[in-house]
Amino acid sequence: MSHEHHHHDHDHGHDERQASSAVVPEVQDAGSQALSEALRSSFAVVKIVMVLMVLVFIGSGFFQVGPSEKAVILRFGKPVGEGQKALLTSGLHWSFPYPIDEVVKIPISKQQTITSTIGWYFTTPEQELSGEELPAGPSLNPAIDGYVITGDRNIIHSRAILTYTVNDPVRYVFDFVSASNALQNILNNALLYTAAHYKVDDALFNDTTGFRKAVEQRVSEMADEEKLGIVVEQISDMRSIPPRQLKSVFDQVITTRENRNRVIDDAKNYANTNLNAASSTAFAITNQAEAARVEYVSSMIALATNFSAQLPYYKLNPTFFRQQQLGDVMAKAFANVQRKIFVPQRADGKPTEVRLLISDQPPQPKTSANP
Amino acid sequence: MKKNLLTVIVGAVLILIFVLLLFTFQVRKSEEVVVATFMKPTRNIDQPGLYFKWPWPIQKVYRYDQRVQNFEDKYSESYTADNITLLSSVYVGWKITDASTFIQKFPGDTADSIPLAQSKLEGMLRTAKLGVMGKHALSDIVNPDPRALKFEAIEQEIEQAVQAELQGKNYGFELVFLGFKRIGLPDSVTQTVFDRMKNERGVLISQLQSSGDSEALKIKASAERQASEMIANATATARQIEGEGEAKAAETYKLLDQNPDLASFLLKIRTLPQLLNQHATMILDDRAAPFDLFTASPATNSASH
Repeated sequence: MSHEHHHHDHDHGHDERQASSAVVPEVQDAGSQALSEALRSSFAVVKIVMVLMVLVFIGSGFFQVGPSEKAVILRFGKPVGEGQKALLTSGLHWSFPYPIDEVVKIPISKQQTITSTIGWYFTTPEQELSGEELPAGPSLNPAIDGYVITGDRNIIHSRAILTYTVNDPVRYVFDFVSASNALQNILNNALLYTAAHYKVDDALFNDTTGFRKAVEQRVSEMADEEKLGIVVEQISDMRSIPPRQLKSVFDQVITTRENRNRVIDDAKNYANTNLNAASSTAFAITNQAEAARVEYVSSMIALATNFSAQLPYYKLNPTFFRQQQLGDVMAKAFANVQRKIFVPQRADGKPTEVRLLISDQPPQPKTSANP
Repeated sequence: MKKNLLTVIVGAVLILIFVLLLFTFQVRKSEEVVVATFMKPTRNIDQPGLYFKWPWPIQKVYRYDQRVQNFEDKYSESYTADNITLLSSVYVGWKITDASTFIQKFPGDTADSIPLAQSKLEGMLRTAKLGVMGKHALSDIVNPDPRALKFEAIEQEIEQAVQAELQGKNYGFELVFLGFKRIGLPDSVTQTVFDRMKNERGVLISQLQSSGDSEALKIKASAERQASEMIANATATARQIEGEGEAKAAETYKLLDQNPDLASFLLKIRTLPQLLNQHATMILDDRAAPFDLFTASPATNSASH
């Protein structure tokens, strides 16, 4: 049965040869056999090629989605899956090859940056790096030089670099031809808008952080409003300067402002020193008064105590009491006082004349003064 | 038989692909397609997918991006209400809302029709800008007072003017957003502004100097006043303390009043050693006790007291 089947199968494959072998003589049969062999082998090659092509066809459908991107498969132009489900995350994926499927890749978590230079004078990064910028002319040419106008109608240069990430990839890719271009214009607009609010000194010196934050907020609000599908991370770099034409006079203001601050600081220091000194003087005054009070009161109490103790003795003999007390004091005084001059009364009762040299000099050393 | 079958299959697939290519087309997401039959728009499709059509030259497919496209006009001059020449450029987001209308107004492939539409838009922007800017003073465009600033209102006015014209004339596209991209002054005016800024800086410099000096003076004067106040207060307190001391001491007076002679004597005798210190010079004659011993008799001596 199996043999018959095989034979039957063989007939099907080479029915042409079978038909010819029935009519054509033996010699030709060998030639046609060779032809049939050649055909068979070339068909085998075709088969292999076709299998390979199918493999390539299937294989070409594989694609990778990186860690910082998402992808959407469009089958005949229509996203496969609805809304957020259409987003393929990182990994290996397969799709039919073009034109059946089309893979759209969208960068997402990677931070992207855009720069606004509409507020900057004409320069190139190379010139800026090498410090060989073209010297500033007397005015600003609107064709090449950018700037922004502040609320108090001053001209300043200002530029900013914004970093952002895509948070709604579908919107970012399928709602805008170029969302990053739209964002760039929003950043330009935010610089103009914020500068139009700010006074020149606030934008350049007093409130540079506030200025930057205001630009950032404006960009964020507008990006939300226009539904760009992005999240503003931050203004990563922002620089605002006065026009180069007025650099020296602006520098002068800075110097003057520093001087002013120094003068005020000096005054504050003086004030502190003065107040500290006054405070310690005041403390000393009250302290001395307090000490004097204590001393006075205690001396009076001592006197009163002494008075009470001596009164009975005094009453007994006032003269004697006086002499005795005075004698004690004088004895102590004589021992203490270094210069004592005794002038006896003249025998004739006339006054004695004594001449003294009163000197501010301290008394002579003991050895020479005391005999 | 087997070989024929394979050939037939391959052939059929090839023919199918060819037919599909001729008779079908894809509409990609965010795309609108207008199918024109003998150059006349007959069908428009805005849903993505695979669709059938008759092959060219019977039917032709025109594709339109439905996404928001960016455009900005030239940096051009306009006059404010207070007669100041201002340069400005606006950026817009616009999109095709009705492709079948759009194709009638701007025929041809998108490579030709989009620039046509944009130049139309540019003209409208220019007219709207001239009109709106002419109604506002410069102080509406730049102003440190947020209540007086009409920056956003001006943008909205321009946008509304253009939007109204687009709808009125039915161009098949609309504005999505509009904003200023650049605002500036003519070349020569910048120089005038520089001169003014320079003067303002000069004024600021002298203000800073004088205000610094006066501020410093104020600080010093205030400190000096405070210092003298502190000392005056301390002196007053000291007086008060002294007074308290006096009052306390006065309590002893009553006691001393019992014998004023003794009190006076004790006070004097207490003071004496303080006066007769080391540096004092004592000049004594023989009347002073106890030197009177040398001259007088005891009777005379005692009598003299």
